[in-house]
Amino acid sequence: MEDLILEAKHICKYFGSLTANDDVSLRVRRGTVHSVIGENGAGKSTLMNIISGIYKPDRGEIYVKGNPVVFRNPNDATKCGIGMVHQEFMLFPELTVLENLMMGFETKKYGGFLDKKKAAKDITEIAEKYGFSIPLEKRVAELPVSLLQQVEIVKVLYKGAEIIILDEPTSVLTPQGIEGLFRAIRYLTRQGKTVILITHKLKEVMEISDDITVLKNGVVTGNLRPEETDEHGLANLMVGRQVLFNTKKPKKQIGEAILTVEHLTAPGSDGTKKVKDVSFCVRKGEILGIAGVAGSGQGELIEAVFGLRTPSGGAITYKGEDITASTPRQKREKRIGYVPQDRISTGCNVNGSLIENCIMGYHVAHKFKIPWLVDREEAAAFTGDVVANYQVKVQDIHNKIGTLSGGNIQKTIVGREFAQNNDLLIIEDPTRGIDVGAIEFIWQKIIDAAAQGVSVLLVSHELGEVMELSDRILVMYNGGIAADLENTPELDEKTIGLYMLGGKA
Amino acid sequence: MKRQSDYICWEGKRDVKIKWKLTLSAKLEILKYAAAVILVMVIGAIIILSQGNSPVEAFRAMVVGSVGSPSAIGTTIRWATPSIITGIAAVVAFKSGIWNCGIEGQMYFGAFAAAIAGSALSLPRFLHIPVCLLIGGLAGMAFAFIPAILKLKLHVNELICTLMLNYAANLFTEYLVFKYMGFDASELADAIATPDMLPTARLSVIIPKTSASSAFFIAIGIALVIHLLYRYTVKGYELKQVGENLRFSRYGGINYKRTFIMIFLLSGFISGVCGGTEMTGAFGKFRPAFALNLGWDGVMIASIAKNNPLAVVLISLVWGMLKAGSFQMERTTSTNRLVVMVLQSVFVLLVAIDYEALFARIKEKHQIRRLRIQREEA
Repeated sequence: MEDLILEAKHICKYFGSLTANDDVSLRVRRGTVHSVIGENGAGKSTLMNIISGIYKPDRGEIYVKGNPVVFRNPNDATKCGIGMVHQEFMLFPELTVLENLMMGFETKKYGGFLDKKKAAKDITEIAEKYGFSIPLEKRVAELPVSLLQQVEIVKVLYKGAEIIILDEPTSVLTPQGIEGLFRAIRYLTRQGKTVILITHKLKEVMEISDDITVLKNGVVTGNLRPEETDEHGLANLMVGRQVLFNTKKPKKQIGEAILTVEHLTAPGSDGTKKVKDVSFCVRKGEILGIAGVAGSGQGELIEAVFGLRTPSGGAITYKGEDITASTPRQKREKRIGYVPQDRISTGCNVNGSLIENCIMGYHVAHKFKIPWLVDREEAAAFTGDVVANYQVKVQDIHNKIGTLSGGNIQKTIVGREFAQNNDLLIIEDPTRGIDVGAIEFIWQKIIDAAAQGVSVLLVSHELGEVMELSDRILVMYNGGIAADLENTPELDEKTIGLYMLGGKA
Repeated sequence: MKRQSDYICWEGKRDVKIKWKLTLSAKLEILKYAAAVILVMVIGAIIILSQGNSPVEAFRAMVVGSVGSPSAIGTTIRWATPSIITGIAAVVAFKSGIWNCGIEGQMYFGAFAAAIAGSALSLPRFLHIPVCLLIGGLAGMAFAFIPAILKLKLHVNELICTLMLNYAANLFTEYLVFKYMGFDASELADAIATPDMLPTARLSVIIPKTSASSAFFIAIGIALVIHLLYRYTVKGYELKQVGENLRFSRYGGINYKRTFIMIFLLSGFISGVCGGTEMTGAFGKFRPAFALNLGWDGVMIASIAKNNPLAVVLISLVWGMLKAGSFQMERTTSTNRLVVMVLQSVFVLLVAIDYEALFARIKEKHQIRRLRIQREEA
């Protein structure tokens, strides 16, 4: 008999007419790393949210160590030893690590006063036992991302978790950080803890997992072990067809500089300098990738270039014109397109129809026949083009864009910016959190655009993406450019990773 | 731009399919309003009963007073008119996410300016009325400029600012009346008013012996223009996007600062016009504090109409009926007119409830109970 620590049987969960989980069963063995993989919208997050007590299943049972359990809220799940580390860290930046760890699980003395000393002692003990070293007295805002993740893991351990769910833990880490995380995961399982890993990075799955469960459209399509399969096999189960990871790169001519940025500095939202003396140029038909650990100033740089953030110094020249101080409207009129990282709050209006979302920017850059009237036919035709050419799955272009899945929203946004005959495309994390099929599709569209002479400035937190697509790679570290590299086949992740951390190759 | 023929076909098919089919959400919406009306009537009946009066008689008096005779219909239209215009003023602001609660104050300024223009200028009729309304609108707009610029330059919360400025407007226009007429403070309060407006500045009465004036058509016209603005123009599209997602509209190249000011001024202008139509239509001269919450009616109506300009017209008609009916009710029965105001507010509350979320919660509770019972049985 297998030693099952967690078992989910026949879980069903519906959101309105959408089936998020359909008869999903999961068997997790004690002391293993169990990966749950699938495209976005496949139901991984729903399943994990059910296991951690955030959602209630419409049908099905959960057993922890063989006993049936019903979770009314996440606290019930915590009491059963299930802890979840979310993709977006749930920490208070203004509090110290210790205060964060105590939150919701306060050690008290004299009936009501916080006993920080005892908590610190307990936490240090736990951290040492599992090989983490975290500075308890530092404010969370001062720590790098990889440490924050450790803090989150220690937090669930401190709350007595036996089963630790990690939701896309590697998406914020450098290659070195990922190695560290994997060491920690192995250590945890050796100490008898169980780790459930949610991810869509197949290479990592193969490297770390003991068991793999593949979800597709809310249904389990495979339960296997890494030695029984390979990355292509897993991708097949995930999308149900053969996926080519090697995008086709045509030979192309790279022309003269189209966008030149010189000595650009820009402030962050907190007023501190986030972009420091950055200079680079993007040439016609070139894909310039910008890599870097999240928060190294890429976001601010892009916003400054597009005009959403006012630069505090330096100059931006586009086609020989100074555009340092021009507004997004003027930039759109000059044929600059932008795919923002935050597709929900910046990239679209979730309450607007697909048409309303598609003509944003178009109405500025292209104008309708009568400039002050929305030409409904033209708007619908343009939207139809985007839908058809970018494979957006939608029943009716009058539907709200908020009803679409993340991948389809992203395809709509990419389509909107790409279909406007822009000469420069600024693209930020184009494939964040979307499924393999859509990633491949968007990558190919970027390469095609560049082949037709469009210049692309690509910022991505996925190093693999930058390396796959770019002709040249800039590495940002702490607001500045740490390296400017030609993307040759000899260039490897390790070298870039070192630059990302501020070291030298 | 290239077009795809297969897409056009698809588009054609869509038109046929969608035309007469109400979406599920629209059906729910209608259900919600019907439920609210019934609930309001039930609550109203209980309140009237609790005061020892007959709800049947009260309702009958309301029907007679609102649609029972030509003069009743006239009264209904008279009160529906300012409700439509202030409702539209609120829609314009709310649709773009701006909390202009200063409609009442902007209306006072508009009314005062229009009343002065109506009595002091002598112009032919076809010019005099438009000039009065325009001056009223501009005065309302000027007053709306204060909170707009404060919000944009100093980030002053427009809700509080406009709310407070209502008092300022009320008292300041009263002061202006004193100033203009040269009264001393011993004069009777009732007599405080600007001079009568000239007949050339007065709108014609559409139902004899009532104060229903052609202002009603102006109100419908304003509603229609605003409806068309949002439905067909680029500016209307931009206004809507700014309201629904400011970041998105900045990103898309919309000049949000200019748009922001424009919305405030437009809302103020419409409020001012409402003051103008009240003067040229019903009142004929400016009396301090004449409006009696007309501006707030607009805010309520806009929220019931879910910011749809055409729905504002319908709701305003109902509003006018309630108001006209309530006067009759008070005259012929012993029920107090304030009951109607209570019911109006209850109606706003009922419509504001998010029923879907409520049902989801009840369903969830029920399910947990079921699961727990299952578990106990096992």
